[in-house]
Amino acid sequence: MSRPKRMTKAVIVGHKSVLKGTIDSLHDSNLLHIEDFIEDESGFKISKPFQNAEEASKKLVKIRSIANYLGIERTKPVVQKTNAVLRELDAKLDKLDSDIAEKIKIINKYDTDLKNIEAKKKEILPFLSINLDFDYYRGYENLEVFAGSVKENLEEGLISRVTPAYELFFDANTKTVVLFVAKTDAHKVAEVLQALEFKELRIPERGGVPSELLKETEQKEADTSIMIVSLKAEVESIRSQYTDFLLASDEVLSIENQKAELPLRIATSGNAFVIEGWVPSDKYDILVNSVNDATSGRAYVTSIGIEDEEEEEHIPVEYNNSKSVAPMQEIMNLYSRPKYTEIDPSSIIFITFPLIYGMILGDIGYAIILGAMALAIKSLVKSDAVKPLMNILLYCQISTFIFGIIYGEFLGFPLASLHSEGENVAGLLPFWNTITLFPGISGEEFTFPVHRAHMVMTMIGVSVAVGLLHLNLGYILGFINISKHHGLKHAVLEKGSWMIIELGVLFAALGYFGVISGLTNVGVVILLFGIVMLTMGEGIKGPVELPSLMGNALSYARIIAVGLSSIYIASTINTIAFGMIWADHSKIGLVAIAAIIVFILGHALNTVLSIIAPGLHSLRLQYVEFFGKFYQGGGKKFNPFGYIRKYTEE
Amino acid sequence: MVDAGTVAVATQMIGDAGLKAIGAGIAITGTGLASGWAEKEIGSAAIGAMAENEALFGKGLILTVIPETIVIFGLVVALLIK
Repeated sequence: MSRPKRMTKAVIVGHKSVLKGTIDSLHDSNLLHIEDFIEDESGFKISKPFQNAEEASKKLVKIRSIANYLGIERTKPVVQKTNAVLRELDAKLDKLDSDIAEKIKIINKYDTDLKNIEAKKKEILPFLSINLDFDYYRGYENLEVFAGSVKENLEEGLISRVTPAYELFFDANTKTVVLFVAKTDAHKVAEVLQALEFKELRIPERGGVPSELLKETEQKEADTSIMIVSLKAEVESIRSQYTDFLLASDEVLSIENQKAELPLRIATSGNAFVIEGWVPSDKYDILVNSVNDATSGRAYVTSIGIEDEEEEEHIPVEYNNSKSVAPMQEIMNLYSRPKYTEIDPSSIIFITFPLIYGMILGDIGYAIILGAMALAIKSLVKSDAVKPLMNILLYCQISTFIFGIIYGEFLGFPLASLHSEGENVAGLLPFWNTITLFPGISGEEFTFPVHRAHMVMTMIGVSVAVGLLHLNLGYILGFINISKHHGLKHAVLEKGSWMIIELGVLFAALGYFGVISGLTNVGVVILLFGIVMLTMGEGIKGPVELPSLMGNALSYARIIAVGLSSIYIASTINTIAFGMIWADHSKIGLVAIAAIIVFILGHALNTVLSIIAPGLHSLRLQYVEFFGKFYQGGGKKFNPFGYIRKYTEE
Repeated sequence: MVDAGTVAVATQMIGDAGLKAIGAGIAITGTGLASGWAEKEIGSAAIGAMAENEALFGKGLILTVIPETIVIFGLVVALLIK
């Protein structure tokens, strides 16, 4: 259980002549979360950005657009000196820009050419089998030329019936018609063609025989394609040549830009400036020293106290967790970052999340598979986003392994043999026998290892009991949160009352079922007392929410429910696979292979489900049931003024 | 209308265990459908909200899974019938 990092409010005041030095030192120290200044009646105004801001952002836009066109990926960083990058920047950028612009222009031109060539090729194709020079199609005074396609076969007789003078070319495959007739008979011929759904084709403007024209066009097409490919290869070589430069200069200019635009976020008067922000309390001295060093003591740094609770709630939040708990912060961020005034529950869900995940899955086999997977991905993928998730998965698998031993399960097989209730279930390990510990709920027996499928009612009881513990932990945290900020009385009324109500219900139930006689009335009195307290604490909405306590507690029954579904899927796969192998010994060859495939695919599917189902359900129990009891969230992220350099150094 | 004799015969054919199984089935079916229906409505709205602002994933997930408790109730009832 921890609280977010303690913060100190720092104010830096100085003459404008030392503003640049102050900003540089703040940026380098990367410690101060600057509060944006909002203009008010104090007479201070926000300032103008430094002169180089405009130029830096212009170059930045250019660099990013080029990087975007080239598809630059963030690769292994090659660290360069900032000064060297800045010195070369202008010359290199101009050259790169002109090179790329020229290449893009040519590539675009060739692309258009290619499209035109393709269009021409399409025009030629229908006339291919009618090997007639395209110049013969035009320029007649007394002849009409029909060139087009029809839907059906064109019989020569149809034409000869309407006109004596004609010349017909017809390609039965493409149904292309080229017909020369006298102008005087043209309208009759047109009617005949119309009946065959004649559609006119464009005649290519260039003269020449179709087959030769086609050959020529195809040659042109191939040439253009080659040109494009070679140009693209050149662009590719530019890309690999300039990747480091683009990444480094992007970084350098981003830093320049951040620094140059800071005056827009701070308060200034005619000659002075005031920077206000938050710095982690333990780093305050470092900040003071670095600003003093940079300005030879001419900028004044001081800390001021936090005014009121309202302000305290808006302090930026930096997590304060140990390295092993840190991955859980991802789960917190997914919900909402804690407020500065709240308990940060990362270290609690560090235990409860894997615990419930393990209770649900509880299988040695899947724990080993998923654990190995998490380790492999962790070592192969270097991404900062993936690592914490794999760590969480790993924590979950440790818990799954432990529960796997408690449940005695391996890929859905029971490890220990079970002899109870007249049932005999053989286990995988012949020497491991189940021991009956004590009677469970509704005639079941509580055994070790726990055979979940044979003691469902008992396990529902256990799950709900675990749930009640989890919920009460939530109430206790809520109690602490409220007592810190609103006093003990409020805490007792708002959160303590729930625990008293639970106690009342417990006493009443014990009395009712005759475990301890005469306790029923005591329980009811305690229950009523609790309800009165709750109403005093939360008003009418308190008693209205009473049934939600039962809902929340029963919701934990999903621990066994989701667990059983996983067992049943696994054992179904096992039954099918082993049934196939042992059904018929004579055909063992092919069937055995099929059985192995079923086994592997089935368990692969269940492995994937084993991440999703227990993960989501465990997450939900944290978010809805647990956090609902105490957590608010909505904290602002601590985002210090600075930059984490990857590709450059001073 | 089914006469009393048919009911008696049918009951005999199905048996007590069969009727219990049907009851348990209805409990799961009804609550399962109800959960699914409710989650469908919330889920589509949550996706819509996420399209606007990805940071709402956590909240969307929570709201979407709230009705899931219904089917857990159904499961408990089904197991109690057994």
